[in-house]
Amino acid sequence: MFERISRASISQEKIVLLIAVLLFCVFSVSLKGFVSSGNLLTLLRSVSTLGILGIGMAFLVLGRGIDLAIVAIYSASAGWTLHLANGGVSIWLAMVLGYLLALTAGVLSGVLVAYVEIPALFATLGMAAFVFGFVRYALVPLYVVYMPASGASIAWIGGGFVFGVPVPILFFALIAVLGFLFLRFTKPGRFIYAIGDNFAAARISGAPVRPIIILQYAISATIAYLAGIITATAVSAMDTDVANSSMIYDIILVVVLGGIGLSGGRGGIRNVIVGTLLIGILLNGMTIMDIEYTLQNVIRSLILLIAIVIDSIINPRDEQIAQQGDI
Amino acid sequence: MVAETLTRLRYRYVPDHLVGEVLGRRWMDNVIPVFLLVAVIAFLTGSIPNFLAAGNLADTSRQIGEFGLVVIGMTVVMLAGGIDLSVGSNFALANITALALINVAKWSVTASVAATLGVAGLVGLMNGLLIGYLRLRAFLTTLVTLTLIRAIVTFLLQQYQVQIASSDVDSEAWDFIGTGSVAGVPLSFAVLLVTAIAGHVILTRLRVGWRIMAVGGSRRSAYNAGIPVRRTVCLSYVVSGLLTGLAGTLYAARLSGAGPDTGLGLELAVVTAAVLGGNSVGGGRGSIGKAIVGAVIVSLLTNGVVRLGLQNGASAMVVGIVLLLAIAIDVRWNKWRGKLQAKVYVSPAYLALPPVPPIDSRSSSPYAMNDRLHDVEIIGLGEIDGPEDVILDEDDNLYCSVRQGDIIRFLAPDHKRREVYAHVGGRPLGMAFDKDGGLVVCIAGMGLYRVDSSRGIQKMTAETNRSRFSIIDDSRMRLADDLDIAADGKVYFSEATIRYGFEEWVVDSVEGRGNGRIIRYDPATGTTRTVLRHLLFANGICMAHDNRSLLFAETWGCRVSRYWLEGPKKGATEIVIANLPGYPDNINRGSRGAYWVALAGTRTPTYDLAMTMPAFRRRMARRVAGDEWMFPNVNTGCVVRFDESGRILESLWDLKGRNHPAITSMREHRGHLYLGGVTNNRIGRIGIPDADPEWTGPASYWGDRR
Amino acid sequence: MKKRIFTALAAALTLSGMVGHAVAAGIDDPRRDDYYKTFTGKTVAFVPVAMGIDLTEGWASVLKQQADALGMKFEVRDPHFSADAGAQVITSLISEKPDVLIVHNPDVNSYAKLLKRAEEAGIHVIQVNMRSNYNSDVYVGADWIAIGEAETQAVVDKCGAGTSGKVAILEGVPTSGSDSGMRKGAEHILNKHPEIKLVSDQGADWDAAKAHTIVSTVIQQNPDLCGVVGFWDVMDLGAAAAIKDSGKQIVLVTSGGGEQMACDNVEKGVFQEEIEYNVMQQGRDLADMVAMVLEDGQPAGKQKVVIYSPQTRLTKDTLHQGACWSAKSLPK
Repeated sequence: MFERISRASISQEKIVLLIAVLLFCVFSVSLKGFVSSGNLLTLLRSVSTLGILGIGMAFLVLGRGIDLAIVAIYSASAGWTLHLANGGVSIWLAMVLGYLLALTAGVLSGVLVAYVEIPALFATLGMAAFVFGFVRYALVPLYVVYMPASGASIAWIGGGFVFGVPVPILFFALIAVLGFLFLRFTKPGRFIYAIGDNFAAARISGAPVRPIIILQYAISATIAYLAGIITATAVSAMDTDVANSSMIYDIILVVVLGGIGLSGGRGGIRNVIVGTLLIGILLNGMTIMDIEYTLQNVIRSLILLIAIVIDSIINPRDEQIAQQGDI
Repeated sequence: MVAETLTRLRYRYVPDHLVGEVLGRRWMDNVIPVFLLVAVIAFLTGSIPNFLAAGNLADTSRQIGEFGLVVIGMTVVMLAGGIDLSVGSNFALANITALALINVAKWSVTASVAATLGVAGLVGLMNGLLIGYLRLRAFLTTLVTLTLIRAIVTFLLQQYQVQIASSDVDSEAWDFIGTGSVAGVPLSFAVLLVTAIAGHVILTRLRVGWRIMAVGGSRRSAYNAGIPVRRTVCLSYVVSGLLTGLAGTLYAARLSGAGPDTGLGLELAVVTAAVLGGNSVGGGRGSIGKAIVGAVIVSLLTNGVVRLGLQNGASAMVVGIVLLLAIAIDVRWNKWRGKLQAKVYVSPAYLALPPVPPIDSRSSSPYAMNDRLHDVEIIGLGEIDGPEDVILDEDDNLYCSVRQGDIIRFLAPDHKRREVYAHVGGRPLGMAFDKDGGLVVCIAGMGLYRVDSSRGIQKMTAETNRSRFSIIDDSRMRLADDLDIAADGKVYFSEATIRYGFEEWVVDSVEGRGNGRIIRYDPATGTTRTVLRHLLFANGICMAHDNRSLLFAETWGCRVSRYWLEGPKKGATEIVIANLPGYPDNINRGSRGAYWVALAGTRTPTYDLAMTMPAFRRRMARRVAGDEWMFPNVNTGCVVRFDESGRILESLWDLKGRNHPAITSMREHRGHLYLGGVTNNRIGRIGIPDADPEWTGPASYWGDRR
Repeated sequence: MKKRIFTALAAALTLSGMVGHAVAAGIDDPRRDDYYKTFTGKTVAFVPVAMGIDLTEGWASVLKQQADALGMKFEVRDPHFSADAGAQVITSLISEKPDVLIVHNPDVNSYAKLLKRAEEAGIHVIQVNMRSNYNSDVYVGADWIAIGEAETQAVVDKCGAGTSGKVAILEGVPTSGSDSGMRKGAEHILNKHPEIKLVSDQGADWDAAKAHTIVSTVIQQNPDLCGVVGFWDVMDLGAAAAIKDSGKQIVLVTSGGGEQMACDNVEKGVFQEEIEYNVMQQGRDLADMVAMVLEDGQPAGKQKVVIYSPQTRLTKDTLHQGACWSAKSLPK
């Protein structure tokens, strides 16, 4: 009986949160300047793009899917926006076109998964290569696209402050709240959980599973585009080659680390925030400790490893109830 | 008449049934991958000059060698039900380890290679311990090890890459690893071939390979079957780590360069290759051969687009499109194939039966219906489920084979008490006692088994010689039905059909093709041979009283035939009863030189007509739901007694259909006839007035031993 | 040697379209036919680190014009930042035997053996901007040691007395031909200035996003950072953004191919200074060297010619119209 209670009460999310809080306390005591408001804002800002993309990814993972194309969409659509603006198109029109590109790519992924029935892992992997390739081949000739002068009117998105708080943090908060409300209170939001929990059951009960899958990809593409614009305006450039980097893994990690199971149906926006905070605290603390960037990566990965090991020791999986094909 | 002849010839010589059988083969999984491979090779040969030139091929195969090794490792992990995303980083780690040891630390080549494999194997072991023993999730764990190892590689690069770049190693052995060839085959490709063959043998022939497949197929069942799941899972990651290390070493020797891009994104290419080849994510389906096909496709494609001169994203675009198309086609193909196979597997043939003899109760036919089974005595009513066959031993105990996989014994003298004589599993059907009192049983889905007098169960045979050119594997026994034992101890048993299992036995009637056979098992030598093929649902088997021939029934052929075991006609088959009014099931000996045959159902003119119209039955099988199909009547039948020459002596019916409408088996014993039925919940017993009251089956076969 | 240089010069002049103007009366030039015959049907292959970056697009554009004008075939094989794919491409080119192979090495090792094999197979190998450990017929590109010296000097000048003297170096890939040279040049200067403190020296893989992360980390760890020596302008935009985010005044000196982006950013003050190697000029040097190795007729592997491109300092003061070239206006 005791065991059952302990299992129910200490989830992976709580473990990660606990570690995050623990690290936060340790750093607050031991590191000078860690708890200053300036540093905390820096901390949040440094992970806000990651968190936003994480929320986009969470929409898929909750429905037992995955979107490996999210980074390609993020970089390609924002990159095209900048390229169009560079070519003299007004920045607002450029943004609309860029968003349409992102949306098309997202819907296409959704169609491939929902109607062609390609497993999400491979549909989006193929889409990632296709989106990056197509945009670089047909739309954006150079890897790196710079912010044109006309972009000054949207520079606040990535670089502005509201009451001293960097705008990207506000966007992160806004998307988190919207995402939470959507998942919790709307019908499509509940359907996403249903699909993630048991696809066949959701389908048989009459949930419009295919349109919902397309909706999920459309949402993630929308969020990816927003994150792309934030990055582009913050750095004044977009490197489309980021689609080929390991950034996608960082995003998946943030999602899964917070306790959203890849088998779907479990978790919510809160988990993404917890995962993002842990990463942010770790990176910021290590930076203040003057640990070199490459070593930081090693330490960060080690702590992540420890987090999932602790989870599996506290919540061991059982041979008898493990789902087949759940990797 | 001509039309009918044409129909007969057409269904005799056009092998429709092969379509469904081909579609059902596991190697059909490979059609799309192999087709894709051919298409990619054809396209690249056409558009890249000298693509197939020997020198070029050698260099291409060198790269395929490295990539293929990693894909094999990934396939092993996937077969065990996991995934290893850390291969890309591990590859880079192996690369920089090898280079650092050779170029900077100046170790010998042997030591460096061994140490590199050790390091990569340790990464695999770490994954294995975490996922196998600590039961972490494979995707998440290897994702974290991917970032961890990549971070370590970046860290090492920072420390050593300039030193590696500025020193040069002069070692023939190292150059051989990078650029050498064995008998004209580039080393890395040779390594791949050896690994692939070894891997195939291990996975398909050795215990550890079977365990890996079992764990991936169903982890829970494997665990319950006592397979060390944790160790097996762990092992699969160690294999993946070692093979990745091997590939990294070959790469290091070939290029001697350590950069941040080494192995970047390799894991996705590797998973893609494994899946394109036909291995499924999550285990259960896959092979080394599939891995190789996938590896060749992906490496040819990714190199091909670069060599075609595609720039600025066009190459990524093409790879993306091909990947999407390939997987889309594969997904649709497998779905379509399943549907199609379900539709076309049933492939009716032409069968013209001789005219039905009259069964009208007012006729003078020996088959004339009567109500003689009205007064049967009921044994075990409601206590047994489907006693397909019944048999009695010399002590008058009554045995029957029931649906639960048991042999039930009703104890003499009154057959009121009941016990499970043996639990054999499967669906036991026909039974016979051998010379030593052992009960030999045909078990559908399993084969031929024997329960000795101390109730120990032994397998006699489950496999016969495979016929040449057969598409479905007819060496295994799907539906062993009835048996009898010759005086020399050889067991002759029938397999009703090679195309269907027991639960679908009635579907075989829609085909009306000779799918059945008779198999001989010789306990003296342990050999199993098929003696007769192409029988129309081979069913009852009974040794003639003189043991020189055996009688067998073909259910859909509505006939009983004799197969000569010795004498001048040895090996010949002749028909004994050509046109029974129903579908014969088991045949057994009776007293006074007679035989009994059970008719499980009676023929109807419509079904006889339908059997001459295969196209009609095919349309039915394709367009109509299985529940609505026209099946032969197996609801009302009878028991028929006949003599050695095939003359019908009498028939026993249950006209009211209350107690024994359908009978599949009967045994005469001390003046009584015991009746079994595959769908009945009872055994019937009825006295036979003109029978020899002392006659028993065991005595008839083996003499009276009491 | 003299003769060879003369030939090269002649080729250069020819290319620049000077022939014809020199002679007023209609006297036939006996070398003309041979000249064109030399090139017709020849193949020039170019293996960049990746297409789609200003440098490689610039060179390829010039080389393509030359090939079109002289009836040569010009092929680009894009390995897209993958040394492995690049090696595969070069291997297949060795069996395809183009007449000239122009290679842009990702690092000094990966292609070295292959380039040697290519020359042994009779292919003239020209290495551009980033060399390998193997010295082939021709190297055309920046004098990285000089650029490293110039960049570091510029930062040192700004970070002398009165500042913290803390300087960071932001490399691309330390094993590349360019970075190893620039690092050497930086050492030359830093050795002379013990007051300058090198607080960080890391590689960002030519990736602006990584540069952003690294530099913002360094700034957090050293809030009094004075200057950053960046090794490539495209990547250093990330560093610039990090500096901007921090709100601090930090000197950023970079180097690059002088694309319009560089001039814009120098003008905006994002880069205090850029040491520029003019890509268009490098392209023409490449074209000249292609002409030279083909006209010279010597077998591959015999020559060892090095052409260092001159470097220019781009600062707010030296900026002028036309100081930069524009990737956008390259002929398609």
